Amino acid sequence: MTHPSQSVLALYAGKDLGWFARWRAERHLAGCRQCRDEVETFASLRDDLAGQNELPALSWRLAAEMKANIRLGLAAGECVRGEQGAAPLAWLSGGRALAACASVMALLVAGMFLERPTPPLQPVAGDSAVLRATANGIELNQGGQTLSLLQGPAEKVTYSAGAQGSMRARYVDSDTGNVTINNVYVQ
Amino acid sequence: MSSKFAILFLAVVAALCAQETPLDPYNSVKINLPADSPLTLISANLGESHASFRGSAVVLDLKMALTLRNSSSNRVRGVTLLVAAQEVTPGGKASVSVPSLDVPPGQNFPVRIDLRLLRPGQMGGPLVQVNLDGVLFQDFSFYGPDRLDSRRSMIAWEMEAQRDRKYFKSILASRGLEGLQQAMRESLARQNDRPRLDVQVSRGRAVSAAAVPEHNAQFAFLRFPDAPVEPVEGWAEIAGNEARNPRIDVKNLSSRQVRYVEIGWIVTDRQGKQFMAASVPASGLEFNLKPGSKSRVLQDTALRFSKDRGEPVFIDKMTAFVSQVEYADGKIWIPNRESLANAQLLGILAPSPEEQRLTDLYLKKGPKALADELGKF
Repeated sequence: MTHPSQSVLALYAGKDLGWFARWRAERHLAGCRQCRDEVETFASLRDDLAGQNELPALSWRLAAEMKANIRLGLAAGECVRGEQGAAPLAWLSGGRALAACASVMALLVAGMFLERPTPPLQPVAGDSAVLRATANGIELNQGGQTLSLLQGPAEKVTYSAGAQGSMRARYVDSDTGNVTINNVYVQ
Repeated sequence: MSSKFAILFLAVVAALCAQETPLDPYNSVKINLPADSPLTLISANLGESHASFRGSAVVLDLKMALTLRNSSSNRVRGVTLLVAAQEVTPGGKASVSVPSLDVPPGQNFPVRIDLRLLRPGQMGGPLVQVNLDGVLFQDFSFYGPDRLDSRRSMIAWEMEAQRDRKYFKSILASRGLEGLQQAMRESLARQNDRPRLDVQVSRGRAVSAAAVPEHNAQFAFLRFPDAPVEPVEGWAEIAGNEARNPRIDVKNLSSRQVRYVEIGWIVTDRQGKQFMAASVPASGLEFNLKPGSKSRVLQDTALRFSKDRGEPVFIDKMTAFVSQVEYADGKIWIPNRESLANAQLLGILAPSPEEQRLTDLYLKKGPKALADELGKF
């Protein structure tokens, strides 16, 4: 059996252990008479020391000076801690912290999006290219990239397909009155 | 307070996603005209062009208004510009043609290019190159590298223009302005009533959306009395609303060598309605049709047909006819108007570019302006 160290037993006796360490110590003490005796010894010593603190032989003036010095040190420590850490942590909480994180993320994503190098284009297999007529013109789609020839606001557009892999849109340009023939080819 | 931050955050994200930047034309577009070009670039206005972000993709909206000058001593009848965006679509290219022109020497004329490119990532360097592919003159002479076979296309359009102007001029001469108006109304009615078919084209073998077994369907043929080439037999693989790999055997009936044949392909749906589906061209070094010989028009392609917002058109029958022939000497044959009318093709085929221009002129400016326009030629 492994016994807890002397310091753990001393802290247990003074009720100064954390909850998990206390739970472990209690489990051990339930089955270990030797350690229970150690704890009782530490507890009795603690009571004796508390009694000695009230001995009339101590100089009351010295005690008052020591207490004043301790209070001064604690007050100084509080001042320093207040200036360095408390305020920013209080500000960065809840919705503000979330919004700040989201803004930083948006900035990072935008930076990557705008400044990333152009990826090399993969060659596209010829048989994946598809030509079709849309409401605005002829569209060639090849591996997610598109090339469209548009006919603008033309009203009567005549489309025709070529079995060799072409699509044609013919219309009269409303501004010039000229017939314009847009042709898109796939190889 | 936290809700204010959330709104601010969303606004920042939305602004980033929808960010639009004015386009620098010198970095995005390059216009190349050869030093000896008969056309001079007077101006290139990219006023409304812009680049924008859509998610992680960049969208380039290019609205280009070019002003070109005919620097030659001949009247310009047609122009084709090659538009290439190799970085965006390596296997694709586009062209903008303006046929039915009549530009005298020294005169400026506009060409508009309205292009949209979408690609992931950022854009850099000239994305779009505009090159001159060809210029057709009044005497059918041609200038240009002709990478897109635009010489043949523009000559065919000009021949159709001459054919249709002659037709409308004959009506004007025989039946006057009222007869011309009647002919225009008939043409507009045909254009409005013409059944429209949405065709999706993909090269190579496509995966059929419809779980319909594939079968070979045979073409029926329309024959024109004056056609130098006749279709003999042909098939295509059909699966539901998809047709693949058309192959048509043709025979040269003329005494001249033929280097290009184009077949018009009509599909009939299960309700008996006919649609112009596509043209099936045959050309190239391997295609050389000597007098009296046969050859095969073949395309490795898949066409998917639909209408009215994607409703599939299931193919019941297919019909084909010879729509264009180019001889080895560069001369071109097209069907005459009488043949098209007799074969009842005028209601199925799109009007010629010139007929489209003339009916538009009639609608906007009336019969007198149309008669004046016909009088110029």
